[in-house]
Amino acid sequence: MDEFQEILQDFLIESFELVEKLDEDLVELENNPEDLELLNGIFRVAHTVKGASSFLNFDVLTHLTHHMEDVLNKARHGDLLITPDIMDVILESIDLMKALLETIRDTSEDAGIDVAACVVRLDKITGGDGEVQTSAAAEAVTEEVTPQPVVEEAVADDVDYDSMSPDDLEAEIEKLLQERQDEDKAKREAKIAAGEEVLAAPPEPIEDEPAAPKAEPAPAPTPEPASAPVVTTPKKDDPKAAAPVKRAPATVEQTIRVDVKRLDHLMNLIGELVLAKNRLIKINDDVEERYEGEEFLEELNQVVSIVSLVTTDLQIAVMKTRMLPIGKVFNKFPRMIRDLSRELNKKIDLELAGEDTELDKSIVEEIGDPLVHIIRNSCDHGVEIPEVRLAQGKSETGTIGLKAYNEGNQIVIQIDDDGKGLDAGMLKDKSVEKGLITEKEADNMSDKEAFTLIFKPGFSTAAAVTSVSGRGVGMDVVKTNIEKLNGIIDIDSEIGVGTSMKLKIPLTLAIIQALLVGVQEEYYAIPLASVLETVRISKEEIYTVEGRSVMRLREEVLSLVHIGDIFEVERILDANEHAYVVVLGLGTSKLGLIVDTLVGQEEIVIKSLGDYLKGIEGVAGATIRGDGGVTLIVDVVALMSMARDVKSTALSDASATEVSHEKTKASDYTIMIVDDSKTDRTIMRKSLEPLGVTLVEAADGQEALNILKSGDHNFDAMLVDIEMPRMDGCTLATEIKKYNKYKNLPLIAVTSRSGKSDRMRGVESGMIEYITKPYSADYLSSVVQRNVNFKSEFL
Amino acid sequence: MSDQLKEVINQQNKQQNSDLNQLDDIVQLVGFVIGEEEYAIPILAIQEIIKPFSWTRVPQVPAYVLGVFNLRGAVIPLIDLRAKFGLQTKKQSDETRFIVMRHGDDVAGFVIDRLTMAIRLKKRDIGPAPDTVNGNDTIIDGVGKQADKIITILKVNKLLERDF
Repeated sequence: MDEFQEILQDFLIESFELVEKLDEDLVELENNPEDLELLNGIFRVAHTVKGASSFLNFDVLTHLTHHMEDVLNKARHGDLLITPDIMDVILESIDLMKALLETIRDTSEDAGIDVAACVVRLDKITGGDGEVQTSAAAEAVTEEVTPQPVVEEAVADDVDYDSMSPDDLEAEIEKLLQERQDEDKAKREAKIAAGEEVLAAPPEPIEDEPAAPKAEPAPAPTPEPASAPVVTTPKKDDPKAAAPVKRAPATVEQTIRVDVKRLDHLMNLIGELVLAKNRLIKINDDVEERYEGEEFLEELNQVVSIVSLVTTDLQIAVMKTRMLPIGKVFNKFPRMIRDLSRELNKKIDLELAGEDTELDKSIVEEIGDPLVHIIRNSCDHGVEIPEVRLAQGKSETGTIGLKAYNEGNQIVIQIDDDGKGLDAGMLKDKSVEKGLITEKEADNMSDKEAFTLIFKPGFSTAAAVTSVSGRGVGMDVVKTNIEKLNGIIDIDSEIGVGTSMKLKIPLTLAIIQALLVGVQEEYYAIPLASVLETVRISKEEIYTVEGRSVMRLREEVLSLVHIGDIFEVERILDANEHAYVVVLGLGTSKLGLIVDTLVGQEEIVIKSLGDYLKGIEGVAGATIRGDGGVTLIVDVVALMSMARDVKSTALSDASATEVSHEKTKASDYTIMIVDDSKTDRTIMRKSLEPLGVTLVEAADGQEALNILKSGDHNFDAMLVDIEMPRMDGCTLATEIKKYNKYKNLPLIAVTSRSGKSDRMRGVESGMIEYITKPYSADYLSSVVQRNVNFKSEFL
Repeated sequence: MSDQLKEVINQQNKQQNSDLNQLDDIVQLVGFVIGEEEYAIPILAIQEIIKPFSWTRVPQVPAYVLGVFNLRGAVIPLIDLRAKFGLQTKKQSDETRFIVMRHGDDVAGFVIDRLTMAIRLKKRDIGPAPDTVNGNDTIIDGVGKQADKIITILKVNKLLERDF
């Protein structure tokens, strides 16, 4: 069973690959009906699928492909000229074949799809001049239509092997033999000139026949008599059947198939490595700072830079393994354009370029649908009908150009048409009429902005609803899909000349460049692709218009939103006089995001938040930073729409509500003693103990800050030494004063430094008292009492 | 020879089966305290138990979702069970732990007040959840009876289910 599954998988992968190419070839064939190479190629696909499916007992699929094969075989031998009508039937049968393959993929069976109608139509095509086959078919018993007996026979043969010798091995041998025979034929074919007129029998029986006796002599003889009369001709006939085989060696690539899961796993591991690299660089920087001038530093530096270099290369290399040529997506468009132009009675040519441009697999999978929408739109709304085109002095046939190319870290997919172009005025009128924009907005809109109106939900310019497009859905879906890929859409158009659309998409989704910003005590990562610029502004530059913050950026008015308002960040730190504005751009829309600090640019690995937290608005994912912490990644698209609903808050509206605790006993007063010297701390403790207040000790500024932030105590005052390791007293004071909560917390400097400049520095950093060592216990106690409003009744 | 082999294999199979039967009767749980109550979850649902460390707040989630943290390269949500059970939040102490639970592909860390111990309970000592909390919505899997107390056994899949 497992073996069967394995074979089935291989069969499906192979078939889908073949079918994918088929569409393109067929459209090409319609243009060059005489192209024997193409015909042979197409025939081979039908033949291969038929062979394999009969081996796997997919009767319906075998039945269908066999009839396709008949038609193609005729065309191949020059008995049949491919007309558009015949092509329609062939294309229909290929669609059916695809549907069948999909059913097989999903259910492992090929039941449920009716191919009879299509088979009859295929037969009709072969019917007229299918005389040659009658000789072979005459022997068969139960058939009405001439070509059919051959099918049934062929199917019957294979089924026989399977049922009579269930041993897979034997069947495999048979297949291998057949393959070898094909090769032999190919070799022989090379010697024999093609195009001979002997078209005795269709090749199937001949191929089946030599294989049959070797593999399973007993049940097979039935088809033998059928082909017996042609036994003398196989050498002349075979070359054509085997012709495609000649092509095969040329296209064999040096590749192996790898399960995508393995590549994904590899990509994940690389992600981890990139994170570790970032961390290593950070540590290296720290070490450099601490041990400046040491000799081992240089060595460490070298190692770190090599690791970082190799990691980057490795990342690129693995990324490349996931790359697929965009041609895989482009392949289906020739067929689509053909169908559409027949349906719409227009003449349209498709020009493809840059099919070799490579994109990450996940993007290739996502980009197909948006492109289909755009191209359908170009066909329907863009390109005019032939009469109109002629009247305008254009050539009767419209052209749609589809090309892909690299531009920096992005890939650009450009869709051009030479149709009627977009009419900005008409777009505006339409949008106003539909209530999508106000008249005022319309007046202020540039042409380029007007073009983007077609991406608004509920917008459709076609006066009549056609089956192709114009249902009012589509283009807005395109926009969302492209934005999901972190891409942007750029439209250019000129009335009467045409429209050009550019989709700019990042090469990969897993690792991106990001700008790290800080707000209060939190950090967020913004994808660099959406960042246009950053500006430093002062509070006065922010104006409020209709309840929204805006600022003037050169000649433009930029609406602003504070990142803290979007992510509900608690304002615990006092706002700075200055803020930074990150100007975000998506297509033509812009938004200024106010942040407290800019941290810098970093390469980040996108990690999903998992099922439990997925779909949080404004958060695209998370990444792990060099220090091991998690930083959330901003979803710029969502952020832009969220920004519209966020009420603006002024930069400095933090009104700290002072929690007043009624003091009922002396120990309700809590005082922190910060000093690196144990002796000094003890002296202070001894001086204050008589008051009965609660005392907490910290050995340096960092520790003091941590105790303060932990919120275990409500401090009424702090006694701070100036000279301390890790964080000195002045820095501590500056840090504390950043918090609104501690604005009014009395900080008393207790130090042996009595210089004027020291005093000045202390006052600047927010100390309100300055006690110089040595001091008397009473003096210290009285200063503390004064600053905490110590109630005299506790004394 | 082959008969002998078969016999040996049969015996081994029997032994394994009887082992399994014995195991089947015992449920291994890990007990922990939240507020005043003791709860337990099956030991096999626990990926690991770690000491608390820093996490990153995530916006627009209920208060009991504290945020996400980095567990050796994976970003994992952190849920405060005190808040989830409607208790007042408490400062983390030395006994606070994160229990990382896994059910299928779902993983999350849960903050608990303190661990008690690993418990082996016989299946028959586990009763159903009280009638008042019955139904599919309940987070309670059953009630384990011990000599001196009862323990509420929680459903890990329910704990890991997103309910907002």
